[in-house]
Amino acid sequence: MAISPLYALRETGQNLWRNLLLSLATIITIGVSLWLFGGFFLFNYAVDNATARWEGGIEFVVWMDPEASPEQDGAILEAISTSPDIRDHTYVDQDQAYEEFKEIFSDTPELVEVVSPDVMPPSYRVVPVDPDADVVEELASQFEGRPGVKTVVSANDTIRAIQKQADEISIVFFIGSIILLGAATLLILTNIVSAIRNRGREIEIMKVVGATNWFIRIPFMLEGIVQAVIGAVLAWGGLYVIDRKVISGLSDPDSLELMAGFEVSDSEFLSTSLLVLGIAIAVSVIGSSVAVTRYLDN
Amino acid sequence: MIKLENVTKVYKGDSVALRDATVDIGKGEFVFLVGASGSGKSTFIRLLNREEVPEHGTIYVAGKDIGALGSWKVPYLRRNIGYIFQDFKLLDNKSVSENVAFALEVIGKPRHVVRKQVPAILELVGLSEKINSLPSELSGGEQQRVSIARAFVNRPLILLADEPTGNLDPQTSVGIMRLLDRINRTGTTVVMATHDRGIVDTMRRRVIELDRGVIVRDQARGVYE
Repeated sequence: MAISPLYALRETGQNLWRNLLLSLATIITIGVSLWLFGGFFLFNYAVDNATARWEGGIEFVVWMDPEASPEQDGAILEAISTSPDIRDHTYVDQDQAYEEFKEIFSDTPELVEVVSPDVMPPSYRVVPVDPDADVVEELASQFEGRPGVKTVVSANDTIRAIQKQADEISIVFFIGSIILLGAATLLILTNIVSAIRNRGREIEIMKVVGATNWFIRIPFMLEGIVQAVIGAVLAWGGLYVIDRKVISGLSDPDSLELMAGFEVSDSEFLSTSLLVLGIAIAVSVIGSSVAVTRYLDN
Repeated sequence: MIKLENVTKVYKGDSVALRDATVDIGKGEFVFLVGASGSGKSTFIRLLNREEVPEHGTIYVAGKDIGALGSWKVPYLRRNIGYIFQDFKLLDNKSVSENVAFALEVIGKPRHVVRKQVPAILELVGLSEKINSLPSELSGGEQQRVSIARAFVNRPLILLADEPTGNLDPQTSVGIMRLLDRINRTGTTVVMATHDRGIVDTMRRRVIELDRGVIVRDQARGVYE
């Protein structure tokens, strides 16, 4: 005979209520661990989206020496024009460089006053065919130290520094969340073992009168699942705050331009939410299964 | 109804609780298991309920070899066997009727069956006036009556009782035995482990005596000795 849903819910509710403090501790631990776990994924999505945008528009700049001879300049131009690895290039002469400089430093006219077009280095803005950071770096290094070249600058170093920082933060999030998920699993197990011990006599009677193992087990397993799902809902709320306040705030156009593209799409948020819920259920099933198998069936 | 063939049960440390026991108990019989503490009476009862499994031998209950039952079938075996404890094992937070109803609810009986059977069994055991009382509000005899009602509410074929009068005074014990006798007269097989000489001698039913796990006497209309 099947277990009545009303009976299962009533027993689950009573178990949760009897161990209220432990249940709350479990729910909070699950919530925080899943929040960190989901945060790790959202952060990675945001970093990937941002760096994809940076990489999509990546270029390197070959700054020429203002004193470079026309022959030296011509050799560099020829190398850029004939390279199969270069998709496009733009030459910025001294006057254009000076206009850019004036625009960038428009807030500091005293700086603009002491600079004249003749000290500004002309440059080639080069767009490679392959935006991969390693390929761009290799290509840029071919121009480093050539006659007439003052320096070669690419955005790679900045992107790599940001990616390295992001990776480090992600790893901390990930390790922290895994440790907390382990703690949450143990808490679920402890909670259910405590409930089993509290109801020792009931369980004994149930077995003697012929209740099936599943009839006895289900309320305990449901207890773990309910705790995990409530924890997942808390985590989801926390992730919503991260997504809508922190990540969206950073990618605000009025904020840092570098952070434009640092955002998470709705589908990425949904998949992270479902993953968090799935992990919550997996953790609760593992914790409660170990508890009922080890402490109920014997 | 119950048949043991050369059954031996050994606990850890090579302590033999039952040795080569062969017994045949017919439908509707009332059997006392007697013997000193540690003689194997409780093991005998626990084997019949598949709480224990013998090392050797075969046990048949209602024609079925219960040692061959899959673990998932054991609950269904137990639905045909009522169990009465010495210490009653009532649930303190449930009323008399809830304690009895619990035995039906946990095997999935529909509500209308529970509503019909619980008052009927409480009337049989003489507790109709106390259906809403908590166990703490009952005397020992009344608590044992609730325990009997819970064991019998599903109308099992067999009733196992492990020292059911062990915690009761002689006068109350007589009342409990009258109740068990009445249940037995409905055709239910009763197997009762006891130390109570007075009860065994008064009832004059079949007596199986155990001594250090060995059946030393199996006597129809016997006495305690």
